[in-house]
Amino acid sequence: MNTRVGSWVSHRKWILAVVVLPVLAAAWWAFRPEKLWINQKVNEPAPFASSADPQPLYTGRLQGKAHQTSGRGTIYKTSDGKEYLRLMDFMTSNGPDVHVVLAQSDDANLTQEIVKGQFDSVELGPLKGNQGDQNYDLPASVDLQKYNAAVIYCERFHAVFGVARLEQF
Amino acid sequence: MVRKMKTALTLVALTFAFGLQVSVYAQDSMKHEDKTKTLETGTFHGKVHKTSGRATIYQEADGKLVLRLTNFKTSNGPDVHVILIAAKDADDDANFLNSSTERVELGSLKGNEGDQNYEIPSDTDLSKFQAVSIYCERFNANFGAAPLEKF
Repeated sequence: MNTRVGSWVSHRKWILAVVVLPVLAAAWWAFRPEKLWINQKVNEPAPFASSADPQPLYTGRLQGKAHQTSGRGTIYKTSDGKEYLRLMDFMTSNGPDVHVVLAQSDDANLTQEIVKGQFDSVELGPLKGNQGDQNYDLPASVDLQKYNAAVIYCERFHAVFGVARLEQF
Repeated sequence: MVRKMKTALTLVALTFAFGLQVSVYAQDSMKHEDKTKTLETGTFHGKVHKTSGRATIYQEADGKLVLRLTNFKTSNGPDVHVILIAAKDADDDANFLNSSTERVELGSLKGNEGDQNYEIPSDTDLSKFQAVSIYCERFNANFGAAPLEKF
């Protein structure tokens, strides 16, 4: 009696070994469920060797509002800690009293062409040219987490020419 | 006659004041010698397998193309590769097996987190391959994609 039960159990063990284990192994190989918890972290240096060069911090494409505006705005940090905004492949329409300012990207004013009421912005200077690559120094204390949009802004008519929402580079 | 000329002059003055806006071209140089050029960049999106970070293509001084992932994060998985696809973008979990989307293999994903570089074959046409995909070969699943735009 005892031996019969014993052999039945070992028979089941045998089936388990032959059928279930390979299935489990295949499933493990295919899905690698442990990878859900295991992270593989790497940290390779940038392809450019010199860290003395200005490093890009934030970047974004310019989108036209009141006037067609295109190009890219990027905020760089130089090795001595200074920050500047660089406009590249830049193009907008020329106009009177046009300035480059930083603003908050979620500011409702930036969804409209004309700013009405309070516009919380940081002045970077008058627009140097309506075309071409150009740099604007940032005030040392500006909070780039808060002022995360570069705006081409006509002071005279409160017109938003174009906006670049800046994302972490 | 004098009146006509006055009108004409006024019209000319008005044209100058409002209509005729001469382009002013500025050309500031980069504040360093640009040995490595930044060609294209874009941010990752991916919902099914949460993927985030930035993909940037650099060209080194010797012409070599490098794809660099920064602030990168995706879920870990089996047989995950980095590929360039001949499309503007890829949908979440897009199945590439059923489509004839051309792709350029850049290698196995080195890590599911962190900054990493991948060499791009020198004959790759970047105007054709416009997006990066984190791609699981085994299940033909797109973990996340980054559409690239000119830097």
